[in-house]
Amino acid sequence: MTGAASRRSALEKVRVVDFSWVRAGPWATRWLGALGAEVIKIEWPESERGRLPSTTTPQQLEVNLNTSGNFNDTNVNKKSLSLNVRSAKGLEVVKRLIGISDIVIENFSSRVLRNWGLGYEELCRIKPDIVYVSMSGYGHTGRNHHYTTFGPVAQAVSGLTLLSGLPDKPPAGWGWSYMDDTGGMYGAMCALTGLYHRNTTGRGQHIDLSQMVASIPLNGPALLDFTANGRGSRRKGFPPGNRAHWPGTPLISAYRGPTVAPHNAYRTDPGGYNDWCVIVCHNDEEWQRLVEVMGAPSWATSEKFAALAGRLQHQEELDRHIESWSMTLEKYQLTEHCQAAGVRALPVQSAEDRVEHDPQLRHRKMYLPMEHPALGQHLVQNAPFELSRTPARNNSSSPLIGQHTQELVEGLLGYSREELRAGFADGTFWPTSRPRFPYMEEMLR
Amino acid sequence: MTDAQPSPGPLSGLRVLELSDEKGQFCGKLLGDLGADVVKIEPPGGEPSRHVGPFLDDVPHTERSLSFWYYNTSKRGITLNLQTADGRRLFKRLAATADVVLESFVPGFMASLGLDYRSLCQQNSGLIVCALTPFGQTGPWRDYLSSDLLHMAAGGEMASCGYDDVDLANGPPIAPGGGNAWHMGCHYACIAIMAALVDRTLSGQGQYIDASIHEACALTTESAIANYVYRGEVLRRQTGRHHAANSTPRTQFRAKDGKYVCALLGGRLNPRFVRNLADLLDTYGMAGDLRDPKYQDPAVIAENTSHIIDELVANFISSLPAEEAYHAAQQRGFTWGVVRAPEDLLDDPHLHDRSFWKQVEHPELGRSFTYPGEAAIFGDSPWRLSRRAPLIGEHNIEIFCDELGLSRGELAVLAESHVI
Repeated sequence: MTGAASRRSALEKVRVVDFSWVRAGPWATRWLGALGAEVIKIEWPESERGRLPSTTTPQQLEVNLNTSGNFNDTNVNKKSLSLNVRSAKGLEVVKRLIGISDIVIENFSSRVLRNWGLGYEELCRIKPDIVYVSMSGYGHTGRNHHYTTFGPVAQAVSGLTLLSGLPDKPPAGWGWSYMDDTGGMYGAMCALTGLYHRNTTGRGQHIDLSQMVASIPLNGPALLDFTANGRGSRRKGFPPGNRAHWPGTPLISAYRGPTVAPHNAYRTDPGGYNDWCVIVCHNDEEWQRLVEVMGAPSWATSEKFAALAGRLQHQEELDRHIESWSMTLEKYQLTEHCQAAGVRALPVQSAEDRVEHDPQLRHRKMYLPMEHPALGQHLVQNAPFELSRTPARNNSSSPLIGQHTQELVEGLLGYSREELRAGFADGTFWPTSRPRFPYMEEMLR
Repeated sequence: MTDAQPSPGPLSGLRVLELSDEKGQFCGKLLGDLGADVVKIEPPGGEPSRHVGPFLDDVPHTERSLSFWYYNTSKRGITLNLQTADGRRLFKRLAATADVVLESFVPGFMASLGLDYRSLCQQNSGLIVCALTPFGQTGPWRDYLSSDLLHMAAGGEMASCGYDDVDLANGPPIAPGGGNAWHMGCHYACIAIMAALVDRTLSGQGQYIDASIHEACALTTESAIANYVYRGEVLRRQTGRHHAANSTPRTQFRAKDGKYVCALLGGRLNPRFVRNLADLLDTYGMAGDLRDPKYQDPAVIAENTSHIIDELVANFISSLPAEEAYHAAQQRGFTWGVVRAPEDLLDDPHLHDRSFWKQVEHPELGRSFTYPGEAAIFGDSPWRLSRRAPLIGEHNIEIFCDELGLSRGELAVLAESHVI
């Protein structure tokens, strides 16, 4: 026991060798970093697709390896070691690093690390209790292990895409790589679980995570409806948009909680693209409260809406009436009126809304400014949980590519300045064909 | 070897007390499937989430909710009324033996019972208490009511999902189904709990975790926040593909059998990609003019993007069953997928190779059912669904009598006075 008082973060003194790229892997290690681990990102300028192409570079800046805003938010709390692992010398450097690390994590397709000479057996030879988390598309075992994914593909194949949309329309799907975010969560969860197991048993292991497979358990009730009841999801009225039930179809659970009405999105004043509110009444009592909030108009006090069965039966009419009322209020106003009366309602919020207008997220300090050497000062997303004794914090902005190469190669691994210079000259630490950033020249002085 | 005990999961030896409903039950399942002894504490008569459908054979009953079944695997179950003094006394005795308490009551409720973290940790300094609530323990929305749909609205999910005007003019933002707001909250809560557990292996100390479902959802829209923060952009919804500041080429194509294929092409069309695409289409004699050397010029590709995507690829996919197009493309290295219904996965041989599906016994019904398994394969300590969800109060005797030492008579008195 090192004594609770001296520990400031949960993963203090944990070192992570992070080969991950693009989004899912980096989103996993971002949180390990926030929790206090030293995350060392191994990258090579020709191949980190999380940096380029960038669609989130501020308009006034040049698009280059160090100016992606989304990369910054996805890679805070890490150090960057630029290293050609596919060279003999680079492999030696990374093996020396693995020898003094706790976790190796990567999200390449299934055979990449092994082909580099860094399969699990080799990792164990270097560091017998290493926790190795692989985050491939389909996993390292199974006949389709070589298939590849991005978030949208994992979502499609696993059944998640089909859960989103309106009946008789193509799937609306997910408007972003939900499974990159979520795959990252599972990557972090697996790394922490492996670390816990190692700390309690002394044994490391390989954890074979698959992005596509990880999506499937998110469809549990729909799958059990099929395996236990024989009912599939390709059926009339499914998916029911924002409703719990599509009017005119059999009353069958749509796998998002109780089958109730109202349960929908309604336009609000002034009718812009994201001027919508959602309202849900879980029972007759909540409905009566909504009736009061709306000022008890005559349509709403009609007997046909008084009980759930009637509201489900006349849902189209119900929703039209509610929207004629919701259109008279701005969405935050409507939310306040409803919530003050004990009615479930919240605004549809864009990114701008969340950052600028959401009083709760502001109170909880969800977005805090950080300085980045190339991007300047911008808001960065924070953890959605507060650990009372070892809080998760954003400690540093994302690294410039290769920013910590000297610090790590000389300071941590004990190579000499001469060896560092030689490695830059022979293409181990930076491609000889590519101009070096000024901070690299600084390292070599 | 058939008699060998399965190796314990990575969290074996840990005890978790779960006081939660739809908000936190998936977190409890994750910890239980990972090997922890998760004890679900329900009010007498059972947790209200037992009333959520679908139900086995469509017969509504507290022991037949498939939703409850799914989200409460690998747990034991007891009943306990915390609103009684005896109930609180028993809970404190249980908490003295626990490693983690997971609760999702409204903020302040546990404190009003004298069961807040400060009180519980006095008798067990290693205890980790995680409160997973809609908005966290503080702030102006702290006491707001919520639901899965409400979280998907305020979290930003809905603002990113919907339709192109060509599919549905001025359509609404759409909330994907499946209860994913709860999943998002539970994933982050699980990470926070695991971090606290790792810390405890070295510090010996527990701590209090205040986790917010709203914040978890607000974090789960990939680049939307970055697009706004760095470029001031508010993204538009598009059918079956990423939100974007400016319209992007479609990625969802209807196959011959009416199913859809997700084919990622936009932003990827370079000469090498087009050559490989021609090879793929040519396998079925559908490459059209794609082998024309002119397509080795990026400028020509750019001019013909719509021809390649909306004609050649769309025709190719519409001529094949969706599964065939998917496998043909993946076998040639294309990151494409078929848009499946969940039930289509039961036949996927890749999942069988990974022993993904689990047969779960329901002895009281004399039947077993196929459940989806785990996200990852652990090499040394299996992540494994170990048992079906508990019946109401199923482990009352086991836990109150066998483990806490109450007599059967005392248990009967507790039942009569509605404590259990």
